[in-house]
Amino acid sequence: MGRLALVARLVLADLRRHPAQAVLLLLAVTAATATFALGVSLRGASDTLYERTRAATAGPDVVALAPDPGPAADRTLTALTRAPGVVAYHGPYQIVYTALIARGFTSQVVVHGAAETPGSVDRPLVTSGRWVRPGGAVLERGFATALGVGVGDRVTIAGRSYPVEGIAVTAATSIYPWAAQIGPGGGPSDWTGLAWLTPPEARALAASGDLPVTTALDIRLRDPDAAEAFVDARSGPAVRVTFHTWQFKARQDAVILNSAQPILVVGGWLLSFLAVAGVATLAAGRTAAQTYRAGLLKAVGATPGLIAAVLLTEYLALALAADVLGLVVAQLAGPAIASPTASRIGGVAGPAGGTVLATTVLAVGVAALSALPATVRALRTATVTALAGPVQRPRHRPGLMALSALLPTPLLLGLRLMARRPGRAVLHACSTAATLITVTVLLFHLAQPSRHYGVGAASLPHLRDVHDRRLLLAVTVLLVALAVVNTVALTWTTAMETRANMAVARTLGATPWQVSAGLSAAQVLPAVLGALAGLPLGIGLYRLIGMGKMVMPPWTWLLAATLAILAATAVCAALPARLAARRPVAPTLSAETA
Amino acid sequence: MNGSEAVVRVRGLVKQHGHGQVGVRAVDDVDLEVPEGEMLAVMGPSGCGKSTLLHLLGGLERPSAGEVWLAGRRVDTLSERALARLRRRSLGFVFQAFHLMEELSAAENVELPALLAGRTRRQARQRAGELLERVGLAGQARHLPSELSGGQRQRVAIARALANEPLVVLADEPTGNLDSTATLDVLRIFEELRSAGQTLVIVTHDERVAATADRLVSMRDGMFVEDVRMAGTGTGRLGDLIELEG
Ligand SMILES: Nc1ncnc2c1ncn2[C@@H]1O[C@H](COP(=O)(O)OP(=O)(O)O)[C@@H](O)[C@H]1O
Ligand SMILES: [Mg+2]
Repeated sequence: MGRLALVARLVLADLRRHPAQAVLLLLAVTAATATFALGVSLRGASDTLYERTRAATAGPDVVALAPDPGPAADRTLTALTRAPGVVAYHGPYQIVYTALIARGFTSQVVVHGAAETPGSVDRPLVTSGRWVRPGGAVLERGFATALGVGVGDRVTIAGRSYPVEGIAVTAATSIYPWAAQIGPGGGPSDWTGLAWLTPPEARALAASGDLPVTTALDIRLRDPDAAEAFVDARSGPAVRVTFHTWQFKARQDAVILNSAQPILVVGGWLLSFLAVAGVATLAAGRTAAQTYRAGLLKAVGATPGLIAAVLLTEYLALALAADVLGLVVAQLAGPAIASPTASRIGGVAGPAGGTVLATTVLAVGVAALSALPATVRALRTATVTALAGPVQRPRHRPGLMALSALLPTPLLLGLRLMARRPGRAVLHACSTAATLITVTVLLFHLAQPSRHYGVGAASLPHLRDVHDRRLLLAVTVLLVALAVVNTVALTWTTAMETRANMAVARTLGATPWQVSAGLSAAQVLPAVLGALAGLPLGIGLYRLIGMGKMVMPPWTWLLAATLAILAATAVCAALPARLAARRPVAPTLSAETA
Repeated sequence: MNGSEAVVRVRGLVKQHGHGQVGVRAVDDVDLEVPEGEMLAVMGPSGCGKSTLLHLLGGLERPSAGEVWLAGRRVDTLSERALARLRRRSLGFVFQAFHLMEELSAAENVELPALLAGRTRRQARQRAGELLERVGLAGQARHLPSELSGGQRQRVAIARALANEPLVVLADEPTGNLDSTATLDVLRIFEELRSAGQTLVIVTHDERVAATADRLVSMRDGMFVEDVRMAGTGTGRLGDLIELEG
C-alpha cells in the first residue's frame, strides 16, 4: 500500500515536471483513439441511425417493387398482402421516375404517391412544415438539404411547379442519393432524391405518358428478423418483383461510408504510431533526468523496478484518460460522420463493447511502447551504475561507415553520430513515411475526376466524395500536426544529446555551419528513406481503400509534396542544430567528467 | 611569419564573466608571450582563470578586452568561420575530460581534424595510424573510447590534437583525471613533443607536469603572480620520476 502511494506520488511529481510531454501523449492518444473509434464504430452507428429512423417512421420490413406496371403486377402485389407472416402493409402505390428542378439544379427524383393520412406502415416523419396535401410536395430531408431547399420554396417536378409543404424522413428507402431503390426497368439506380405527392397527383403523373413507373408495396411482417427468409421463399414468381428488406436498406445506407471507414481506421493506426514515435523519443531524451532520479530513488531504497513502474503507470494513466476522451469525441462526432446526409434521425448509441476494447488495447499499446525505450534505458543505466560495470558498447555498423566514406566531412560526422542511435533514425523514417502516406492518399483523392449527382451542367455535390475528402483532410491535418511535433521533438532531443560532441567538433575546427549542417543532414537522411517508402505505400493504400477508379495525380504534385515534407524536416532539424551550434562551447567543455 | 615572432602573444587580456557586483574577472589584464618551441606550464588554484585563459588563446571565448595574436596574426577579432579555420590548422586542444566522441573509434577520432581540414580519407587514415603508433596505441585503433582506459583515452586525444601539425597545443589539466602510471605515459608524450620543438601551453595542478616545462607561470585571481624560466631539461627530471615510481 505504501508502495502504491509512493508510485502515485512520483507519477504526480513527474507530470508536474514534464507537463508538455504529458499533454502531447494525452492529445496524440485522444486523436488516435477518437479516429480509430469512429472508424470501427461507423457501420454500427449507421445501422443505429437506420434503426432509429425505422422505429420513428414505422418503416416496412420488406418493400416489394414491381417495375412493369399493369394488372399482373397489381395481382402479384395484392397476393403478397395475403402471404403468411404479413401483418400489415401500405400500398400498392406508384413510384414515378422523373426530374426535379430547384434553385437551378436538375436532379433525378422518384415521386411516391402518399396518402394524406398515413396508415400503420411507413409513416414518414415530418421534420419541418406539414405532410402532403393536394397541390403541394414534400421532400425527403437528405434530398432537400443537398438541394438547399426549404419549406415554402418552389420546385418543378416533371415540368409542373409545386410549393414545398414539408420536409420528412423515411425508412422505406435508403438515404439520399439512393432513394430510387431500383431504376426504371428494374436495374440499379443512383443519385436520385425522393419527393411525395398525393396519390391522385402521382397517378396523374404516371398516366401522363412517357415517365417510367414502378409499383411498390410496403410490408410489415410478424417477425421482422425473418424478412430475408420471407424474400428468399418468394424469389422467381411469374411477374418480376424486386424485394428490398430493411436489412438491405441499412447495408445500402452504409455504402456512403465505404471509404470513410478505412480512412479512419488506418488514420487511427498511423496516429497511434506517430504518438508512440513522438512520446518515446521525448521519454528517451529524458534519460539524463531519469538517471538522476534513479540515483535519488536508489538513495532512498527504491529499486529499478519501481522506476519502471512509475513511468509505465504514468503513461498508462494518461493513455487511459485519453482513451476515455477519444471515445467521448467519437460519440459526439459519431452522428455527423456516420450520416453525411440528412436522411436519418436520432443519435448513435454509446460505444459498443468491441469499440471500447479496441481503443483501450490501442491506448495501452501506445503507452507501453512509448514507455519501453525509456524504461529499458533507465533500468540499464540504474543497473550499470549499481554494478559500476562498463558502459554499454555501441555497435559498429560497417555498411553505414562504408557509405559515409564517400560523403563530405560534416555529413560524415553527422552520420557517424547518428549510427549510434539507429532506433531514433528508424522512428524518424517511419514518422516521415506515415506523413507522406497520408499526403499521398489525399493527393490521389484530390486528383480523381470530380463526380457529381444530378443531371446537366449545374450539378449537386457528390456526397460520398465530399465526405471522404473532409475526413481525409481532417486525418491529414491531425497526422501532419503530430508529425511536426514529432520532428521537432526528434531533432531537439538529438541536438541536446549531441551537444557535447558538437562542442568538441568546434574545438577541432568545425565551423558552426558545418556542425549544424552535419546534424541536420544526418536527420534528413532517414526522412528521405521514409519518404521513399511512404510514396509507394501511400499509392498502395489508396488502391486498397479502393476509392473509385484510380487516376494518377500529376507527378509534380507528388514530387512537390515529398520535397515540401523533406524541406520541413530540414528546417525542423536545422533550427535546434543551429541553436546548439551557436551556443558558446566553453561551458560544455569545462565539464570535468568524461 | 617573422621567425623571431612569438607563436602566442597576449596583451592586456581581460575576461569578465557577468557584470558589476556579481561579475568575475576570470582573466585580469594578462600579458604573455610564448616563443616557438617553448613548453609553458600554467599553474594555480582552482578557479584562478586557467581554463578561461586557455579558451581565450584558442578562440573558444572572446576576450572582454586586450589582444590575442597567434603567429603574428590578431585572432580575437576574427569571425567564427575564420576562428574555426584557425583552430583546424593551427591549434590542438587536450582536455581533462578527454572529450573524445564516444560514438567514434580511436582512429576515427584522430582522423576527424584531418578530414575537417580537407584531407582525403586515405591521407587522414594514414596520419591517424602514424599518430596512434606514436602514442603507443596502434593496436587499439578500432576500439571505442568506452573500451579504453583513461590514460589511453587521453593519448588518443593528444594524437587527435596533433592531427594537423598545429602551431601550438593547448592542454587543460591533461592529467587531472589520470592515475600515476597513466600520467607518466602522457608526460612522456609531452616530453617527446617538446624535444621535437612543438609549442605547448599546459594548464595543470600537477607539480610533475610543471616540472617538465621550460617555463612556469603561476596564476591567482586571474593574474600572473610569477613567471619562472626552469633550468636544465625536463628529460632528466622525468627520468628521475620514473625511477622513483619504479
Ligand atoms: N561561463 C562562466 N560564467 C560565469 N563565470 C565563469 C564562467 N566560466 C568561468 N567562470 C568563473 O571564472 C573563474 C575562472 O574559472 P576557470 O577559468 O574555469 O578557472 P580554473 O580553470 O583555473 O579552475 C571562476 O571563478 C569561475 O567561476
Ligand atoms: Mg579549469
